[in-house]
Amino acid sequence: MTERHILLVEDNPDDEALTIRAFAKNNIRNDVVVVRDGAEAIDHLLAIDRGDAPSPILILLDLKLPKVGGLEVLRRIRAGHRTRLIPVVVLTTSVEQEDILAGYNGGANAYVRKPVNFSDFAEAVHTIGMFWLLLAEPPPDIILPPGPS
Amino acid sequence: MVNAQAESLFGYQPEELEGQPVEVLVPDAVRALHAQHRATYTADPKDRPMGSRIQLSARRRDGSTFPADISLANIDTDRGILVTAAVRDMTSRQQALEELEQANRNLESFAYSVSHDLRAPLRALSGFSAALLEECADGLGEAGRGYAERIQAASEQMATLIDDLLLLARVARAEINLQDVDLGAEVADIAGELRRGRPDRHVRFTIQQPVWVLADRDLVRTVLQNLLDNAWNFTSGRDDASIDFAAAPAADGRVCCHVRDNGAGFDPAYAAKLFQPFQRLHSARDFPGTGIGLASARQIVERHGGRTWAEGAVGAGATFYFTLRTAETI
Repeated sequence: MTERHILLVEDNPDDEALTIRAFAKNNIRNDVVVVRDGAEAIDHLLAIDRGDAPSPILILLDLKLPKVGGLEVLRRIRAGHRTRLIPVVVLTTSVEQEDILAGYNGGANAYVRKPVNFSDFAEAVHTIGMFWLLLAEPPPDIILPPGPS
Repeated sequence: MVNAQAESLFGYQPEELEGQPVEVLVPDAVRALHAQHRATYTADPKDRPMGSRIQLSARRRDGSTFPADISLANIDTDRGILVTAAVRDMTSRQQALEELEQANRNLESFAYSVSHDLRAPLRALSGFSAALLEECADGLGEAGRGYAERIQAASEQMATLIDDLLLLARVARAEINLQDVDLGAEVADIAGELRRGRPDRHVRFTIQQPVWVLADRDLVRTVLQNLLDNAWNFTSGRDDASIDFAAAPAADGRVCCHVRDNGAGFDPAYAAKLFQPFQRLHSARDFPGTGIGLASARQIVERHGGRTWAEGAVGAGATFYFTLRTAETI
């Protein structure tokens, strides 16, 4: 696994395959690590926090996940010492105002609705990749002291 | 004096209530208060009609209570003022209201899961048919590519349908925030957007400004957007297309607005069907659309207490009317 990998939190195997295909189409060659439900995501986050797994440079997070919901996963990301600054893009189907607000309140860096049309979807993945992997400066690679949360 | 209906409503035997103070029919907790109210009331009696929407409860003989609507009327007699109270048991009405609220909540969660769960398989249909076209195009042959393209187009059409259906559901439950809105300015704004989207088209807009109404801005904007989208689409075959927006005062402090076009029009025999969801009078091949726009428009106007109707003839354009309240401050 390379240092600059993407963590994809996605339970739907079709969406997983399409997202990975969209990365490939857009020449985004970073490794993609997939976790397939909320509980698996939290285990993975704990492994990162212990230093047993490397930190991703971007997390793509679906909200509607089996076992533990995406908002809880987001809360755990923001509470972890090694994960709290990692850019998180919520990539989901819902455009309910409540979900969007909860996503941003939970500390998401962006909230993107998955388009149905594949060319629009590929374009969305391309834009996310270009911005977060190339344009945006990543947060400094430091371990923060325990915060109030 | 009590009638037989009152005795059975409150669970008393005949004549058992004669000579009792009316407070025996009032729940224990408010009994003392009721006696005070009664003293105030007899000093200055006023009729109170049924359905005054005051939430009251009444006490049966066994101490149980039920929600009640109580009307009061005063009759001058030789022995002073006689106050008659008519009591109606509102239990079934209250239950119906609670059931209705529950049904609305169910509908909301249904709309939510529709939005989420139905879109995911559609994305797979669109995505994998695109993958077929890109990676297996040679093996598919011309016919196979045509089929894959149809799958893609159909999945996108269904996504639009779902979005429109959700809009319709949202319109039904949206909170209405009344404010003064200039419909003319909104129409001019939408017309500008339509023109920018298709700079190759020449459509003459005639827009009356200002037209002030008291309405929810976002919702009436949706009405105008739907009517103007229709007018824009159904005039697409004409070189001399024109779309008019105008308004005239109507009864009861209302204003009657209309959007008129000189496009394809419709058979007036089907005018009533136009506003039903998914009803389309033109083939999707000639004019694309989901058949939800006018249904949403009608629902919004009716939620404002207004009316919608349409006039038209095949090949002679269409006019859509709606009424809204005139703005208060103008």
